[in-house]
Amino acid sequence: MRIADKMAFNQVNQNLGKNRSDMSELQNQAATQKRINKPSDDPLAAARVLAARTEEHGNSQFVKNINNAKSFLEFSDQSLGELSDILVRAKELAVSQSNDASGNAETRMVTASEIEQIYNQAVQIGNRKLGERFVFAGYRTQTTPFDHAGNYFGDDGDMKVQTNKDSFVAMNIPGNKVFLGRGLDGDGIVRPRYETPTTVQDVKEFQQEEINRKEQNEDVERNYLMTRGPASEFQSNGKHKQDPVTGAQGVNLFNVLKGMETSLKANDKEGVQESLDLLDQAISQVVLARSEVGSRVMAVNNTMDSLQKAIVDNKTTASQLEDADAFQVISDINKTDSTLKATLETSGKLIQPSLLDFLR
Amino acid sequence: MSKISAMMDTGKRSLMNSQTALQTVGHNIANKSTEGFSRQRVELLSNVPIGEGGLQIGMGARAGVVTRVNNPWLEKQIQKEGMSMGYEDARADGLSRVEQIYNEQNNKGLNQYVTDFFNGFRELSNNPESLASRTMVREAAVGMTKDFGRVTSQLRGVQEDLDAQLKTTVGEINEITKEIASLNEKIQTIEVQKVPANDERDRRDLLLKKLGDKIDITWAEGRDGLVTVTAGRTAILVSGIGSSELKAQPTNTRDRMEIFFQGTGTPANVTEQITGGRIGGILNVRDEVVENLLTHVDNLAYTLATEVNKAHIEGFDRHGKNGVLFFEQPEQVKGAASTMSMNRTIFNDVSKIAAASRPDAAGDNTVANVISALQYRQVMDGGTATMDDYYNTQVGQVGAMVQRAVKSQESQKNVMNQLTNIRESISGVSLDEETTKMIEFQKTYDASARLIKTADEMFDTVLNLKRL
Repeated sequence: MRIADKMAFNQVNQNLGKNRSDMSELQNQAATQKRINKPSDDPLAAARVLAARTEEHGNSQFVKNINNAKSFLEFSDQSLGELSDILVRAKELAVSQSNDASGNAETRMVTASEIEQIYNQAVQIGNRKLGERFVFAGYRTQTTPFDHAGNYFGDDGDMKVQTNKDSFVAMNIPGNKVFLGRGLDGDGIVRPRYETPTTVQDVKEFQQEEINRKEQNEDVERNYLMTRGPASEFQSNGKHKQDPVTGAQGVNLFNVLKGMETSLKANDKEGVQESLDLLDQAISQVVLARSEVGSRVMAVNNTMDSLQKAIVDNKTTASQLEDADAFQVISDINKTDSTLKATLETSGKLIQPSLLDFLR
Repeated sequence: MSKISAMMDTGKRSLMNSQTALQTVGHNIANKSTEGFSRQRVELLSNVPIGEGGLQIGMGARAGVVTRVNNPWLEKQIQKEGMSMGYEDARADGLSRVEQIYNEQNNKGLNQYVTDFFNGFRELSNNPESLASRTMVREAAVGMTKDFGRVTSQLRGVQEDLDAQLKTTVGEINEITKEIASLNEKIQTIEVQKVPANDERDRRDLLLKKLGDKIDITWAEGRDGLVTVTAGRTAILVSGIGSSELKAQPTNTRDRMEIFFQGTGTPANVTEQITGGRIGGILNVRDEVVENLLTHVDNLAYTLATEVNKAHIEGFDRHGKNGVLFFEQPEQVKGAASTMSMNRTIFNDVSKIAAASRPDAAGDNTVANVISALQYRQVMDGGTATMDDYYNTQVGQVGAMVQRAVKSQESQKNVMNQLTNIRESISGVSLDEETTKMIEFQKTYDASARLIKTADEMFDTVLNLKRL
């Protein structure tokens, strides 16, 4: 083939250009430590990296949600712990005052005032706040849930937070469930649905359900006989069915304590004995709530573990997809560097001599 | 005819031939780096011999024509491949700019802003009572709408830049066609005298290549040596010694540059006919790739705004009032991304964000949960993809498109390099070769001069016969 001078120049240009651009590409990889610096470097991997990043951001948020839910649940647990402690104390007192061997009118009067204190403490626990939120008020976190008479002003809302792509956990226990035992016994109270609505359609259905539920519950409430008052007036609604799920019976803690106080003041030994049973129920109601809280904490802890694993996995995936192999890059740089030098050297030889150089 | 004077004459002509040849060598060397130049050669022919008795006496040589060493078929092939080169170049350039818009490898992009937006609602769901978390939702929403705006305006920016390129390119095309027409005229004038217009033809070949790089053309040379150049199917740019212009201007219906052919009648829109060269590549990126991406971004923005609105309006705000639209509801998909904005009322008062599913429940986060759950719901492509999937697929597709475009560009470049090499091997100037010729003709010149000197001495000898 005939070789024209321009061919040689073109060739040198092309080869040098290619080497230089290879070098700059590698240099960029070395500087960023990334194999993929723009989607076209590896489209499939770039899209996957992006998906992994999205997931990572979502997961970090879930971790935050869980931490938030955990502190709420742990605070509830701690409060319920105190509540069960004071109920146990009340039970001790009830035991000691339920017979004539250790109790008499005078001790019962003294005990009554301690029970009053316990009652006050129970109300105070019911009105516990975490930050600006009442813990036992259901959704009505800005409303003091219990007045001194033990009336409930919260609702039975479960505040659910997303802990993973498709799981939600309730972070609160509504006060009427723990303190009033509403919805635990076969008292006809309907509790909100367990599943978290996630679509607009769901929300609409949920809202309708809630309206129906409210009416239904109001109806039940209207026919519900208040049991506060002197021990002799104490009565339950007579159904005494056990909750099919929890096996517990719902009692109104405030009524129990109030009833016990009244019995003590009235020196009503049978009344106190009756309180003993009710206190047992109350304690198991609180323990039950605590175990519910505890199982949620466990659930979120498990989710947390898997999230943290997922976060690491995601990082690994992204890194495997996009990170440059440092050894590879450096050795490629060396290789390209020597190629470049060889090209320069041979280019010099290729361009330099022509016949003219020998015609002096 | 005296033999000595014939010798003198042969020597003289040989001197002149050598000069002509050396002049051509000089021309070749001088044009060694001229783009599109084909080396030239003097065709030396031996003169018709004279018969004298039984002898045939050679009468030396004469210079015939100066021809260029050139393969027209190859030139045409290079011109055609150059058209693809222009197309691939323009596409790769345009697409690399588009790619930057979707590059989230190094900077924060739409994907992250969307995630932030949904995380904002997750944070709100953690603490629906707090104004701080509500403000976070607002900031995230503002960031996201801005980024939707950024993507659209950057895509539009690419289109505008391509429009500007179209305009410049059309201007260059008009310059080239004018020059081709004037070269047509020169070539005709020269060749009418039966002399090949070598340099003019080289120049015209080069201009046809340059024209083809910019726009898809077909051309043919008539018997008179004039070329006719047509762009697309109907726009006759050069005919004989006349040329017509193209014009790039926006139409009434669309705010984008279209290509018009200014023939003799009313200007005709030929945009759709042009599918090659730089303009073809530019049009492809501008009207297909970018338009397509704009539609996708709009789709995403529209779905997101609509779905969030649908949920939000079912909810209740911090004051127990019915939820309003969260975003200004876009009227149509087209343009949804650029017009996307938060409802002003919510922007001004974050307590209007509706997190609850019922009034009078400050801690109710049901609707906030529904909105944040939207991120993982398959709401795109007829319920087959989540918004993240949809967007990430776009990024992957842009990447793949750019990768393919760059690969095509490279392989086209290789084709061009090979063809150019073949062209150079035929038409290129080699210094060694020209130097050799130079020595050759110099020796010829030298020898011819000696011949004349010898003839002169022979004359002297004859003239001095008497004195001897």
